[in-house]
Amino acid sequence: MSDKHTITVTVNGHVYTDDCEARMTLADFLRRQCGLTGTHLGCEHGVCGACTVFLDDVAVRSCLTFAVQADGARIKTVEGLAEGDELNTLQKSFQENHGLQCGFCTPGMLMCATELLRENPNPTETEVREGISGVLCRCTGYDGIVRSVMAAADSRRDGVSESGSIS
Amino acid sequence: MKPPPFEYRSAHDSAEAVTLLTEYGDDAKILAGGQSLVPLMNFRMARPSVLIDINQTQDMTHIHAEDGHLVVGAMTRQRVLERDQTAGSAVPLLPAALAHSGHTTNRNRGTFGGSLAHADPAAELPTVLVALGGELTVQGPSGKRTVPAEDFFLAPLVTSLEYNEILLSARLPRLPRGTGVRVEELARRHGDFAIVSVMAAVHLDSNGRADLVRIAAGGVDSTPIRLHEAEAQLSGTTLDDAGIDAAAVAAADSVQPTDDVHGSASYRLEMVRVLVARAIRSAITHQKEGHP
Amino acid sequence: MTTTEPQSTKYAGKPQPGIDDPSLLTGSSTYMDDITVPRMIEGAVLRSPVAHARITRIDVSKARELPGVFDVITGNDLVEIAGEQPVIWYPIPEQRIARAHALATDTVRWVGQGVAAVAAVDRYVAEDALELIEVDYEPLPVVADLEQALAPDAPKLYEDWPDNVSGSMTLTAGDADAAFAEADVVVGASFRHHPGYGCPIETRGCISNWDVFSGRLDVWLGTQSPNLARELFAQVLSLPVSKIRVRTPEIGGGFGLKFDFYPEGVIAAILSRRSKRPVKLLEDRQESFVASSRSRDMRHDFEMALRSDGTILGLRGTAYGVLGGALGTVGAGPPWASVLTSMGPYKIPNQELTLKAVMTNRSPYGSYRGWGVPKGNIVHERLIELAARKLGMSRIELRRMNFPAPDEFPYFSGAAFTFDSGRYADCLDLATSAVEERGWNELQREGREAGRSIGIGYGFHIEPGAYGPSRVLNMVGLDHSGFDEVYVRMDSAGKVTVLSGQISTGQGTHTTYAQLVAEGLGVPIEDVTVVTGDTESCPYTGYGTGGSRAATLGGAAIVNATGRLKAKILRIGAELLEADPEDLELDNGRVSVRGAADSSVSTADIGYSAYRMLNGRLPESETPTLEEVDVFDPANMTTSYACTALLVEVDRQTGAVKLLDCLQAHDAGVIINPLLADGQLAGGLAQAFGGGLFEEFVYDDDGQIRTASFMDYLIPSATDIPPFHFYHQETPAPHIPGGMKGLGEAGTIAGVSVVGSAIDDALSDLGVTVCEFPMTPPRLLELIRAAQSGEATT
Repeated sequence: MSDKHTITVTVNGHVYTDDCEARMTLADFLRRQCGLTGTHLGCEHGVCGACTVFLDDVAVRSCLTFAVQADGARIKTVEGLAEGDELNTLQKSFQENHGLQCGFCTPGMLMCATELLRENPNPTETEVREGISGVLCRCTGYDGIVRSVMAAADSRRDGVSESGSIS
Repeated sequence: MKPPPFEYRSAHDSAEAVTLLTEYGDDAKILAGGQSLVPLMNFRMARPSVLIDINQTQDMTHIHAEDGHLVVGAMTRQRVLERDQTAGSAVPLLPAALAHSGHTTNRNRGTFGGSLAHADPAAELPTVLVALGGELTVQGPSGKRTVPAEDFFLAPLVTSLEYNEILLSARLPRLPRGTGVRVEELARRHGDFAIVSVMAAVHLDSNGRADLVRIAAGGVDSTPIRLHEAEAQLSGTTLDDAGIDAAAVAAADSVQPTDDVHGSASYRLEMVRVLVARAIRSAITHQKEGHP
Repeated sequence: MTTTEPQSTKYAGKPQPGIDDPSLLTGSSTYMDDITVPRMIEGAVLRSPVAHARITRIDVSKARELPGVFDVITGNDLVEIAGEQPVIWYPIPEQRIARAHALATDTVRWVGQGVAAVAAVDRYVAEDALELIEVDYEPLPVVADLEQALAPDAPKLYEDWPDNVSGSMTLTAGDADAAFAEADVVVGASFRHHPGYGCPIETRGCISNWDVFSGRLDVWLGTQSPNLARELFAQVLSLPVSKIRVRTPEIGGGFGLKFDFYPEGVIAAILSRRSKRPVKLLEDRQESFVASSRSRDMRHDFEMALRSDGTILGLRGTAYGVLGGALGTVGAGPPWASVLTSMGPYKIPNQELTLKAVMTNRSPYGSYRGWGVPKGNIVHERLIELAARKLGMSRIELRRMNFPAPDEFPYFSGAAFTFDSGRYADCLDLATSAVEERGWNELQREGREAGRSIGIGYGFHIEPGAYGPSRVLNMVGLDHSGFDEVYVRMDSAGKVTVLSGQISTGQGTHTTYAQLVAEGLGVPIEDVTVVTGDTESCPYTGYGTGGSRAATLGGAAIVNATGRLKAKILRIGAELLEADPEDLELDNGRVSVRGAADSSVSTADIGYSAYRMLNGRLPESETPTLEEVDVFDPANMTTSYACTALLVEVDRQTGAVKLLDCLQAHDAGVIINPLLADGQLAGGLAQAFGGGLFEEFVYDDDGQIRTASFMDYLIPSATDIPPFHFYHQETPAPHIPGGMKGLGEAGTIAGVSVVGSAIDDALSDLGVTVCEFPMTPPRLLELIRAAQSGEATT
């Protein structure tokens, strides 16, 4: 039995239309059909968080959503974070604060932290740790990641005070 | 870890979902947030031949207050419920419990009704429903019926839903203003399923006597368990230390946990005693300190 | 406290962010599963659902008929082409070596052992096909754990063996029996570290393309050891090494687990050869718990003898390595290393250390960061704290008085290792003063007054790194070498490329190598490119990226090669500037006469002279091109060390432990990049805290693993791990150009025993001794209850 569907999704501003089996996860659709391999699969059962993407502006685990469910949706992945040829504030902060080592959890960590800072622009360290606790990192011991997210919040605050709007 | 093949159907409203369930019978499963079902499918431990997706429905997504109750639609996302002011002020136990339920990315997608219908005995939302004596409204081909929470959860991952019924919403009694609530949860990590969780709501009258005591435990039996005996012992008392400790012992006597890799039955029993006492004491503090 | 004076450097010793980070942060890097090659199909492995059984029938016909399936193989198909899986470590003399093929042929000996494999159009269909393969198993008695394996009437894994012991050996120094006879105090315990694994977030994988027409095997492999893998493919598949190419993509974490050589590489090769298509074979998370190396699984029954003044006289005991149903790539290597390091940083003149390697119906034992040493650390650190308690001495002072003094180095430990250099007491002081400075002692006092159980744990560890002198490794049983080779090349435009056989798994090999080259040559770091991960273009490395050897051995080779290349550049510069090479300096990519900056040439001028316009520019005595090769085989290993302190709070009613804060005073010789070094230390400690409190393969009596998901195998999240604070002192390795010592394994070695130390301290009024890891809440509550009811806990 093969239940095929044709779906259209807008990923990072580009429109993709393709066929998929009903059982294809959104993660596999992004990776295999759209060629966006920045979204990683670390467990395929919704625990490690490496596959986190924005589905209609909300961070979700793309291994637990079927692609067919995303038909018509707007999706953002790690490939959509940079601003032109420049890393965005959060990405820069990860680089400066050694918020990554092997980089495999990093896409999920960035998406998760992006949502965290959107909902809570001035998080405490405890709030950052809780906020990213749904993404597992095996390399860093989280220290650099927590510093990265805190520093990104700081520099966005500075950006607000200097220019009057969030950079 | 790729799921087995299935046929995908999307329902536009609850009625269509019921029609599709009736059409496909036992082989069909409702797909809501997918946070529990899809992992099981990826492990190939669940293999429904038809999935009926209710994410496109509108009629099961709502939160509103109605004659002393809070009514929450089954398709309400957990994260929305967690941050909803109406829900938080009517039933402050809900946001407190949801904070322990997975992680924000799970709750962004996971639904209120999905967690209830999945009926994991260690999950937070079923335990809240049982603690507060909530009622569940289900829709079948011949109409709606209402089921008290304690009759809805039958066994691990088993509810009283018939194959062609769908969970529409649940009603929770609004807690009196100033009710102290507390979730005491022992999990191996933040966001994990509870080894033992205890949900408590306590209200003291102006004489310092408890005129409302609600306690339930998760993870300690085949369903969440309302701790009636402990509630009865505490109701109408001043909730002194000796009374709380005795009620905690009574609570442990009323559950029948089993072993798993994270804790033996005897460990769980002991934890029920510890956590019930803590939850009551913290709920009292919560009321006394006051909260919005 | 003394540290080496910081030299004036531009790149070395500086917190240079990772040079690969921008691509990792934007999703543009390429990991194993991101690679698709033309004509590629995908595989999956059917695994045994039982721990011990004879296979009586396999029927693959239904799977073959499934549309989209290209091939299905069983063990019998595989053995037509492939030999047994290799074992490269033989540390125990006359050890019985149980080898297995990549797929079982007649008997399965662990849950998860491969019995058949499928190649199909994609992974979805391949998994569908696995469900159609029928296998009949005739159950055999299961040896589920160590105690069962050692029982006198135990069922045997191998019928022709006398028992389940693969081998045993005893290392001695001095006279342990005499030392224990004359001791004033003897402390002992049985220490148990339960099994876990390295668990990189990226699972293992490969793409094999075996083209029978050209006779070439082209493999993409997520491995830490591409050169070793090529050797072993050649060995197993009877192919010439020259016909095999191994490439490594970006690696999503290795942690030793990806050092080992696994069956899937061979299975994919066979599937490719038969189907005449490249085959991608990825391990999924569920498989990883039974298909990737199981580690840590050991019991140590050890005791320590001391004089009443605290002088350690002797150490003796038996270590049991819980091997699986067959030997993995590194055999009993890690258990052996635990024994070799069980005396730790202490002077112990009399030792009798026994290792027994025991087979069970568990998956093969293999590599995980720390490689046995974390358990050696448990032995000496737990015993020294027990001794301090029994003697009524300070646990800090007891450690200090038994350290070798700085002038006693190189110091022979008594069993195999000679520690190169160290200022152990300084390091201890650095840690204790940091604890005071951070206010932990005050926090503990206040917490205790408020009824909280706050504990401070200490641990001192040694980390053997720079594995190792090749001939010594051969003598102790390694069928491989330990040297490292590097090419440093300046091109015709004056830019530099470094080629190495090491690879990067996130530890920053590329960044630190670029720093060493930029510093050593005097060029901007942006001018340096580091190339790794291709056996066809990169040089040979013995062993691989493991054993804390990338910075030490690869780094030393770079220091040597860069020095020679710089000399040649200066000689060419001297020709161009009509100056004496002695008077020249190379800085920021320009060769200039010292003190006369206007008289200079760029590295581009040098490159042009060495590659293109030789006439009149390249000295007659010089060969064209600018390339230096260095092979570095160390005279000794390095021994870095640290003192770790951990602040915890114990919940006496639940047994839950909260990690509040952590610091480490560390000495790994010369640090190339403090930002990355601290990241290595923190990450290792977090893994050790996982092993100390959370992570465990739990088996039932049938040998079934009950924790084969991320819901039950609990790697720590951000809320479980404390903040970290690092303090460094630098005692350069005397025999390593550059002075670096290994540090990649420091955290995993240090972090388990210190959890025990901290819990003990939090419960010091009860006299609890933590000897088992992970110390889960139920286990700790049991210890607390036993102590409260007056039972001895050791």
